[in-house]
Amino acid sequence: MTTVEHVQPGHGTAEITARDAPPARRRGRRRGLATTIVWYLMLLVLAAIVLYPLVWLFFATLKPSSEFGRNSGLLPWEPTLDNYARVWDGIAGIPLWRYGLNSLIVASLAVVGTLASSALAGYAFARVSFKGSGILFAAMIGTLLLPFHVIIIPQYIIFNQLDLLDTYVPLLIGKFLGTEAFFVFLMVQFIRNIPRELDEAARIDGAGHPRIFWSIVVPLLRPALVTGGIFSFIWTWNDFLGPLIYLTSPENYTLPIALRLYNDTTSTSDYGATVAASLLSLIPVLLFFLIFQRMLIRGVATQGLKG
Amino acid sequence: MKRFKIAIAAVASAALLLAGCGGEPAGPSSDFDPNAPVTLDLAFWGNDTRAGFYKNAIAKFNEKYPKITVNSTFLPFPEFWEKRQIEAAGRDLPDVMQFDYAYLRQYSQNKLLLDLKPYLGKYIKTDGFTESTLGIGVVNGVTTALPIGTNAWAMFTNTALLTKSGAGAYTGATSWDEYATWMGSVSKAGGGSVWGGTDPTGRIQNFEISLRANGKNLFDDAGAAQFTKAELAEFWGKGAQVRGTGATIPTKRLLEVAPKSGFGAGLTTSELTWDNFGAGYAGDLGADASGLALSAPPVTKAGAKDLYLKPSMLHAIAANSEHPEASALLVDFLLNSQEAGAVFGTNRGLPASSTHLAGVKLDPLSQKILDYETSIKDRLGAAPPVPVVGYGSIEEKFRQLGEELGLGTVTVEQAVDQFFSEMDTILKK
Repeated sequence: MTTVEHVQPGHGTAEITARDAPPARRRGRRRGLATTIVWYLMLLVLAAIVLYPLVWLFFATLKPSSEFGRNSGLLPWEPTLDNYARVWDGIAGIPLWRYGLNSLIVASLAVVGTLASSALAGYAFARVSFKGSGILFAAMIGTLLLPFHVIIIPQYIIFNQLDLLDTYVPLLIGKFLGTEAFFVFLMVQFIRNIPRELDEAARIDGAGHPRIFWSIVVPLLRPALVTGGIFSFIWTWNDFLGPLIYLTSPENYTLPIALRLYNDTTSTSDYGATVAASLLSLIPVLLFFLIFQRMLIRGVATQGLKG
Repeated sequence: MKRFKIAIAAVASAALLLAGCGGEPAGPSSDFDPNAPVTLDLAFWGNDTRAGFYKNAIAKFNEKYPKITVNSTFLPFPEFWEKRQIEAAGRDLPDVMQFDYAYLRQYSQNKLLLDLKPYLGKYIKTDGFTESTLGIGVVNGVTTALPIGTNAWAMFTNTALLTKSGAGAYTGATSWDEYATWMGSVSKAGGGSVWGGTDPTGRIQNFEISLRANGKNLFDDAGAAQFTKAELAEFWGKGAQVRGTGATIPTKRLLEVAPKSGFGAGLTTSELTWDNFGAGYAGDLGADASGLALSAPPVTKAGAKDLYLKPSMLHAIAANSEHPEASALLVDFLLNSQEAGAVFGTNRGLPASSTHLAGVKLDPLSQKILDYETSIKDRLGAAPPVPVVGYGSIEEKFRQLGEELGLGTVTVEQAVDQFFSEMDTILKK
């Protein structure tokens, strides 16, 4: 509508348009604003409902242990920071950050191992034609159907014989050896959607499999790697059973186990410290998610794309 | 998560059977040298406080036996047993374990625990124990565990809360009807914010003491149930009557405060439970234990020996231990020594061994427990047989059905049928 200024006087119709148009535009904007406000209010209400448990958790960390079970409301009667102080002191002489560090080490190595091995395995299944690749692929998918409980005890016995208990090896070695079928499958599907022409062009220029993998596939695989990395991190961070079975010394425990140590129903449970420690253990996952969520959405969106 | 746990339990117990086919362990070797360096694994369940106690006790133990290194690990109770089930399947249990009565039969029958008989007297002193406490950990004639502490079924009352609400105190050892009447009077005075107690028919132990009053136990030596559907229906029927009068706290309210109990949340003034739960209650209430009183549970039949001493926890040694003698020395220290007594106090229950007890400096609450266990001497009968395999699940089913009865989602007849079918399935395994 800025063109109106340049319209010569005397062209009446243009003048009328110029005079009438702004109010019409303002009315439109006002309608838009009202709708926007309503939308935002609705979203706020929904967000409040969804976030309420988290908000409750936050305020619960300020309640003394004796208030649990008596004060189910949002706000503490006698707010205190004692819970955080106790959490900071840790358990059995081991400060909480140590458990956090253990979790971080395990989760980071798990991400590295899972991504490296599943990208390689995915490339092999998608691009290299070798004998028995069909059967091996089916077998790999088959492991997705294998319930975890079936293999716990045999695995435990193997690692016990290898004298690897109370180390992080049992928790990580499978991830470095590409046994996480879910991630391999994710990579295979993704690589299959990358046009083969790119490989062929590289091949004509004399590139072998390592070069094609590293220079062509990996850069294009980035969204899938990010998605896989996030899932792998969150799952390992929250894993309870694996660390429970394989770790023995309290100084090697990961966060989810340490969290349970605050609660012993046979003696005294420290509910205040439990919620405070829970909130603290949520923070890294939340940060990880916030940093990578853009890529996560892109990764999931590309996954759904059919070539 | 729950289904997951059940699945693990199923797999683990199947593997446990397989693992049971090991060789018989030999007795103590004659050339054991306590000064040879060995490393033992010690596992227990508990919280931060108990972990600190074990650490101090091990330090004291090492003053005596500097060459025996003890690596300790601890978890909360449910996770402790999940981990043990898997280790048992791999025959890789820790050398020395804090043990629970409910699991004793299963582990003993699968030959996972060391026969302690050859070690008694020589490595593990027995003078502190009585004949009956020594017999607590005997399964099929084999001593596989020794009790650390004992506890008995008791009634806790919150005197501080009673005074505040203006209701009279409970005198203890009344009839069940009088107890119900008393609860009703408290609930009336409480005006919908404080109740007299929790419906006692939700706990299997209350059913057990009413059976024991008639000379029976829940299960006999062979593991068969000693009660009929009619008896259970009558017991739960009484609970329905009491609930109907509004004397007990509504189940809905109880579920809101879980995992705390109504008593721990300061909503009820009495609760029937094990006598060593006082410290937990005090912690939950955020008050010191001076406001808590212990009295005897209601009487089903005058003069009956319906109560008994149960091991609050035991110590056992794994059959797969490579150092049974050193493990026995550690068990002896943890069970009998005054030094360990001074460290633990009554954290693991009122000590079963008198030499251990001699080292304990009793705090007011522990003194109350000791006084209580002395006061019920006349009501203490012989302990029932070691709990059947799967007793924990049976106990839990009973509690769940009690809860459902309280919510009114099942009738007494349905609950009885469900309980019996569940119990039969567990006992047949």
